[in-house]
Parts: sequence; structure tokens; C-alpha cells
Amino acid sequence: MSIQGKITGWPVTDGGAPATLVAALAANAAQPGSRPGFRERDFGIWREWSWPQVLDEVLSIAAGLETLGLGPGRALTVVGDNRAAIYFTMLAANALRAFPSPVYPDVPVDEFKTFVRFGEPDIALAEDQEQVDKLLDLRGRIGRPSTIIYDDPRGLAGYVEPGLIALSEVADRGRARLAAEPGLAADLVARARPDDPAVLLYSSGTTGTPKGIPLLHSNIVGGIANAEAGGYFQRGETLFAYLPTAWVGDFVFTLGAGVLLQATINIPERAETALHDLREVAPTFYLAAPRAWDAMLTRIQVGMADSTPLKRRLYDWFIPRAIELERKRLKGYRPSAVERLREAVGSFVMYGPLKDYLGLSRAERAFTGGEAMGEDTFLFFRALGIKLKQFYGQTETCALSAAQVEGSVRIDTVGRAMPGVEVRIEDSGEILIRSASVFHGYADNPEATAEALTPDGFLRTGDAGHIQDSGDLVVLGRVSELVETAQGQRFIPTFIENRLKFSPYIRNVAILGAGLEELTAIVCIDYEAAGHWAEQRSISYSSYAELSQKPEMLELVAGEIARMNELQPDGLKIRRFVNLHKDFDADDGEITRTRKLRRKVIEQTYAALVAALYDGSDEVIFDAKITYEDGREGTLRRNLVIRRV
Amino acid sequence: MIYRRAGISFTRYQDERRLWKLPTDRWAVIVIFALLLVAPFLVDRLFVVGYLLPLIIWSMAAMGLNLLMGGAGQIHLGYGAVIGIGAYASVHAMRAGLPFELAMIVGGLASAAIGVVFGAAALRVKGLYLAMATLAMQYIVDFVIVQVPAISGGTQAALSVPRTSFLGIAIQGDRAPYYVALALCAVLTLFMLNVRRTSFGRALAAVREKDYAASIIGVDPFRYKLLAFWVSSFIGGMTGAVLAVCYYRTISPDQFHLDLSIQLVAMVIVGGLGSVLGGFLGVGLILFAPIVLNQLIGLAADQFGVAIPTDLRAHLPLMLYGGLIMGFLLLEPLGLAKIYSNIRNYLLVWPFRHARQ
Repeated sequence: MSIQGKITGWPVTDGGAPATLVAALAANAAQPGSRPGFRERDFGIWREWSWPQVLDEVLSIAAGLETLGLGPGRALTVVGDNRAAIYFTMLAANALRAFPSPVYPDVPVDEFKTFVRFGEPDIALAEDQEQVDKLLDLRGRIGRPSTIIYDDPRGLAGYVEPGLIALSEVADRGRARLAAEPGLAADLVARARPDDPAVLLYSSGTTGTPKGIPLLHSNIVGGIANAEAGGYFQRGETLFAYLPTAWVGDFVFTLGAGVLLQATINIPERAETALHDLREVAPTFYLAAPRAWDAMLTRIQVGMADSTPLKRRLYDWFIPRAIELERKRLKGYRPSAVERLREAVGSFVMYGPLKDYLGLSRAERAFTGGEAMGEDTFLFFRALGIKLKQFYGQTETCALSAAQVEGSVRIDTVGRAMPGVEVRIEDSGEILIRSASVFHGYADNPEATAEALTPDGFLRTGDAGHIQDSGDLVVLGRVSELVETAQGQRFIPTFIENRLKFSPYIRNVAILGAGLEELTAIVCIDYEAAGHWAEQRSISYSSYAELSQKPEMLELVAGEIARMNELQPDGLKIRRFVNLHKDFDADDGEITRTRKLRRKVIEQTYAALVAALYDGSDEVIFDAKITYEDGREGTLRRNLVIRRV
Repeated sequence: MIYRRAGISFTRYQDERRLWKLPTDRWAVIVIFALLLVAPFLVDRLFVVGYLLPLIIWSMAAMGLNLLMGGAGQIHLGYGAVIGIGAYASVHAMRAGLPFELAMIVGGLASAAIGVVFGAAALRVKGLYLAMATLAMQYIVDFVIVQVPAISGGTQAALSVPRTSFLGIAIQGDRAPYYVALALCAVLTLFMLNVRRTSFGRALAAVREKDYAASIIGVDPFRYKLLAFWVSSFIGGMTGAVLAVCYYRTISPDQFHLDLSIQLVAMVIVGGLGSVLGGFLGVGLILFAPIVLNQLIGLAADQFGVAIPTDLRAHLPLMLYGGLIMGFLLLEPLGLAKIYSNIRNYLLVWPFRHARQ
């Protein structure tokens, strides 16, 4: 099947590079290397697609989607975990000048209609039966989507609903069309324009309803070009596609960079096997949120805690020294010959095996961003020899604004503006950004667009920050998050929370104190790490709730808070805290899907708790509302201990 | 620490089943084989002829016996006789004019045919009784070889091996026999590594674990016990031929007595039942420990001027040797191969205690 033979040209930029994702795909297929374009783990082995096969697949799906009525300017709802078929379908929508609108797969059906507001999405792609059920439910409520395409047919054989169609069937229809219409393939490749939307994403909705953010092909192509010029990406990377498909990081860093820079995109078998599959892939580029890096560190620490004596002693000898050396090196220190020797031995004995265990032994470019990272975590991974760097960006800029460069890496900066990116600081302290990757406005929301974009094309990020003399950008927090205690001391709760969350035993924490006399905290322990800690000390527990209220556990958390307090000015020390009986959960609305706190929800849900934290009582009886999976609601009465620090 | 496992992925199930999946293991195998290949050019000829060649040949014998003992769980105290039958049959065949390649197979077939007759006893008896039955084989074969001049070679009771060649290479001098033995040993090693992964190997394992349970799942113990004796005896016979041609050059009945059988059983048990690597390690320990201990004691006596009485001097290495074997088996009843695998696992999960997700 030689679709390739029929394709001779595609839209290009002024520099001659492909101007759309579809064009880049065609360019990759026209000069395929020996490396596959996509690899997906399926029943334990990796299935590979070369770039010509990917193009073949994408054009088939595109031709099939067209028969279902997908046309220019329309959205295609996509919901599911990372799957090759999902990526192919997103590109196929692009080929039709339509755009995918990925939705987090764990969004409950009640919230789903928020994510189908723009682009009249009448067609939806669901990964499996679970998502099909959700979309059928949605159709019962709002009448859309009329066509539901599914990738995994398991469990769907008995469904008789109208408009339900398998993705393979769509592709087969498309293949038949491509065979029958000789000019169709070349036409599909050339249709998409640089100023067509490539994807519709949603803001996290920390405050209010999520806004629709269309990113154009030109945004992504421009942003990736900037990043490549800055050396943050290289051609021919090995990527690992495990980030949520609805996050900008996945579309831009995985699919966008993968297609534009001819990488190999590796897709894990399931979200649960991602850690295992990561080791099989050993990517050269790895992006993870700070808390994912924290989780990796916790895994290593928990593993080392019950390792054999010799191994533990070696770990305890090498790692602190390596961290100390890395700390000094970031300040410009040049290691002595002895230290270099120690590093060489250490990387054979300890750092190398740990990197190998994580699957990051080939990760030349490792990034984190989205929120502040703990210094301990940051230094730990850099000490292992993973050149971890922080980057800065938001969905509105394709997440490609600034990133650290080797030689100027500091824990408190987010690096320099990428080539082609202009950064300006307003008098109010707000960071403004202009570049090719900055979006052109929110979907159907001119007011919000006018607020976010200045007339000369700068994006108001809403982040407070400043630029150091070295050119490195420092981000302090959200301009809107700055709050004051009753005494008038200003602080950013997230900043304190993040510091506390660097403890392996604390998974989530909410700091209270805006407009109040003192700071208090609602703490959610980390069930895995704290549970392991308890097991080692023969502390029996049967549930998260029980473990969280154990006196030893409270003592442990109090110790962690006391240590953090040492770094805080007097008026901003945490005086009282409570261990919550459960972790904050996105399904309960307490955190967003990207795991950011929703303070208003927390303050409302736990109003009784908050009151008790400030009235001096030692204990609070809290009626916890719970929603069962079948939708029924109930209450559970919990006794929670309040502790002073 | 030395095992790196990141970036190993497979696109086909066949690849996932390969013998050495980790690059470290592959490199170890390549390096050891390369060292064995160049050894005759690197070390003294005495070392090659006196140590490496016997190590290779006895390892072949240990692998053959291990198929029966470790693979199918059948004890055999007459494996020396099996090797003897192969040696005599092949030498007689060569003296009758057959080339070595064919004579080797004749030796194997002769051993297999006679071995399987005694092995048939295994269908009736188990455990200690099988040990007695195979012991009887040892004595009967010894007796027949000595008492029939046509086999043993007449009054001198020594049979010299005629000059011969293997695949066009004349087996003479020091290097040619070594390389012939090494090549055959490599083939046999690959066979043994793979036989466990075949339905035959799995059937043997089923019979080993419990023969009536095996018959319940459709594995005929009658057939597979006989097959195990057949294959194991065939390997023993071929080893006998290699032993005669490459190492002994002149064979006599006393080379295949009970002490050889006992020694082979010791090699298999010390090395590790059911392990291919164990065969090599067991042979290495049993062959070289006495020599090394002897040297060490001699060295100690010279260096520190300790006057050791002559008879103690002669027996001390043997006592230590016995103690060493007991020590190893106390430390790890599953043999040297298990000790190796413990060390390997320790390094494989480095720096953790267990394999972790």
C-alpha cells in the first residue's frame, strides 16, 4: 500500500519546516529512519509502527472520520488513557481541520458536560467500555455525542445503542475510501492550515469553570522550534507517553515534539504498568510533575529502608555525600580529584543502579514543572546524575516559556526564557510572556481573552515573579494567591504546603490562616510511606483513617511540621494541625485533576474542622459526607485529634 | 550493581524467551567462551592438558548424569560403567575402521542400549532400590569388561586408541584434542540449556516431582523415565568416546570403576541438581579442590616452616576437601549453582533487597 507515493507536498513554514502536525507526520513518513515512530506495549511485548505505517493509519482514520461527519472547526471529544490509536485519531482529526478535545479519563459524568462546551463535539472517541458508558450517559443528558467511537471492543459486543462504532471499522471505511479516491491522501495531508487549532485543552479550573484553550498548529510548531533551538529537545528522542492525554504536557511534549522532531513515542500497556514499562523503554527525555519525582524518591527510600545491611550502608554513605557535592556544585564549586573519584565509584555502585531501576539511565533531558519542587528531591536526582531541570510554562503558552540551562540550575529559579520567547515583568510583579507558542484567545470567551492578552500580544500569566541578573526567572506564586494573616503578614499557602509535602509521609496538606490569628494545617498522610513506617514499628492499623489518628503517627507529622517551622518567620509558623481521615480526592472536588488544592471546597467541606482548629479544642467530631460509587450519599462520623506543634 | 536492565524490551514473544536476556549475562558467556578459546595460546600446555581438558570432559559427563538425576530425579550409581561402555564401544569401532564421528555415535548407542536395560529397573523400583540396581550395573559391566578379553583387549587389559580425526582435524598434539572436546562440550551445553525448555524437559520435571502426579496430567512416566535413561546414557557413551580419544588415549577397565561413578554423583550434587552451570562448578570443585588444597598446605608448610608429619601432610588436604564439600552443602543444599544464583539475585536487585515494582 503506497500512500506515500501519492504524497508529494505538505504545508511548510517560511523556513521550509512542516507547518502542521499532519505535515510533520507526512515529512517523517517520506524519510523514515530505521527507528519506529510509535511503540505500544500490548500483552507484554512492544508493537511498533514505522512512520509510514503511522501516516497510513492516521489517514485511514481521517478518511473514515470524514464519513461520520467530522469537519473543519469541529471538536472531537477524546477520552481515555494513552493509547496509540488515540494519538492516531487526534492527528486524524487535525488532518480534517477539526481538533481533538481530550478529557481526563477520570472525570465523572456529572462534570463531563463542562468539557464538551466548545466546537460542538458530536463525535467522541472512547478508549474502552467504561468511557463508552460515560459518554452514553452524557448523551442521555445533553443529546451529544451522537457518534461514539471505541478503541477497545472488550465488553461492548452486546451494546445496541445507535451511533456506536469501532475505531477499526472507521479505519476500514477510510482505507476503502483511500483506495477508491486516488487524490484523497495528498488532499488530507495538505488540508490543515497553521492557524487551525491543533487541540482544545482546558485550564485546570482551580478558580471557577475550566476555560477552553485552543492551541493552534503554529503555536505548537513555534514552541517546539523554540525549545529545540534552546537544546531542550533534540531530534530522534525516545519519549515515554504516560502523562494524562488531557494535559498540555502530553499533547505538546509527547505528541507534538514526537511528531515534529521524529522521536519514538513509547506507550505503556496500562497506567498501572507505567513504572515497569518505563524501565523497558529507558527514555532519553522524561518529563514528570514534581510530585511524581517525589513519589519516585519515596519508592527508593522505602525500598532502601528494608534493604540488606551492606547495601543500606553503601547508600547511606554515598547518597548524602553526592547530594552535598551537588548542592555545592550548583553554587559554582568545582569538585576536587577525590570527589570526582568518589563520584565515579558511586555511580557504579549506587547512582547507576538506581537510575537503571527507575528506567532513567538514558534520560539526558529530564524536566519538571507545574509547581515548586522540593530541594531534597531536586538535589537527590541531580546527585544521581540525572540532569533534572525545571521548566516554566502554562497551557496558554504550550507550556514552553522558560527552562533551566545546565550551568545555571538553581532550585529557586525556573530558568531562562527559551529562544524566541520574550518575558516582561509588570509593575505589579506579574510575569508577561510573548512568543510564537502563546495562544490566540480562549474559546468563545472574549472577556477572558481580553483579560489574559495585552494588546501587543503578551500573555498575562497571573504568576508573580522577577528576573534575576543572570537572566533566570523566579516565580513566587500566583498573584491571586498572596494572602495575609490577621497580623498582616503576607504568605502564599501553596509555598508552605509544598515545603511540607517534601516529607515522604505527607501526601497532601492544606494550610489555613488567611485573615486568621495563626497558621494551622489539615494533613493527609501518605498511606504507602506512613503505612510502611508503621509496619516497621509494629503499629497495627486497618485503614487509612485509623492509621492517621495513631498517636505515633501524629507525633511523626508533628516532627515534620516542627522541622519546617524552623524555616518560617515567627508569625508564619504552623501552630496546630489535624490528620485527616482520608486523602484529598479529585472525585470529591478537593483537588483538581492536576492535584492542585481547591481551597474553597476544602474550607466548605471541612468547616467544622477549621473551626475546631481555631477554638482550642483537642478533638473534633466530624461528620464526613461520602458519595458511594453508585451515587448514593451517606455520612461517617469520625473522631479527629487536633495536635499542637 | 553490574546488571543493568533498563531499556530491555521485546517486540516478539520468541525474543522474550531467549536464553540470556540480560546483556551482562550474554557478555559473561561470551567472555568465558572467548577465554576458553584462546587459553591454549595464553597458558602453559600442562595447564590446558592437565586441568582445562579434564574439566571440559568431566563436565560433559556431569551434564549427562545431571539430566537423569536433576532433570528426571532418578539416581544412578553406575554412570562410570555407562561411560566405560561408550569408551570401549567407540574404540572398538574405530579399531574396526570407523571414523571418530561415527564411532562416537556407536559408543553413545551402545551405552544407551545397555543403560536403558538397567534403567528399565527404574520402572519397578525407586530411590535406594534404584541406587542398588544401578550399582549392580556398575559391577556387572566391570566384570564383563575384565572377563571378556575381546572387550578389554587381552592379557594386558589395555586398549590403545588408534589415531583419528574429527571433521578433518587430526586429533593429536595438545591443542586439537582440547578444541574437539571444547566444541562438543559447547554443543552439549546448548542442548542441556535448551532441553529444560522443551516439552521433553518439562515432562522429565513432572516425573521428577511426582511420577503418579505426572501420569495424572498425561505424562507417561514409563516412557519418560526410559527416555531419560536413554538420553543420559547416550550422552555418557559419547563422553566416554571423547574421553578415550582426547584424554586417555589408552583405556583400561580400572578407569571406569565405582569410584568414578561416586565422584560423578558427588560432582552433580555439589554443583547443583538440575543446573547446567552446576555441572561445571561441581566438576571444578571436585577436580581442583584437592590439588589447590595440597598446594596451599605445601606452601604453608614451606613458608612458615611448620613441620607437618608426612602422613598428616598426605591426609590433611583430603580432610579439608571433605570438610569443604560438607560446608558447601550445609551452606546451600542446592549446590554451588544455587550459591551462584543467590549472588546473582543479590546483585540483580541491587541496591534493594527484593525485586521491586
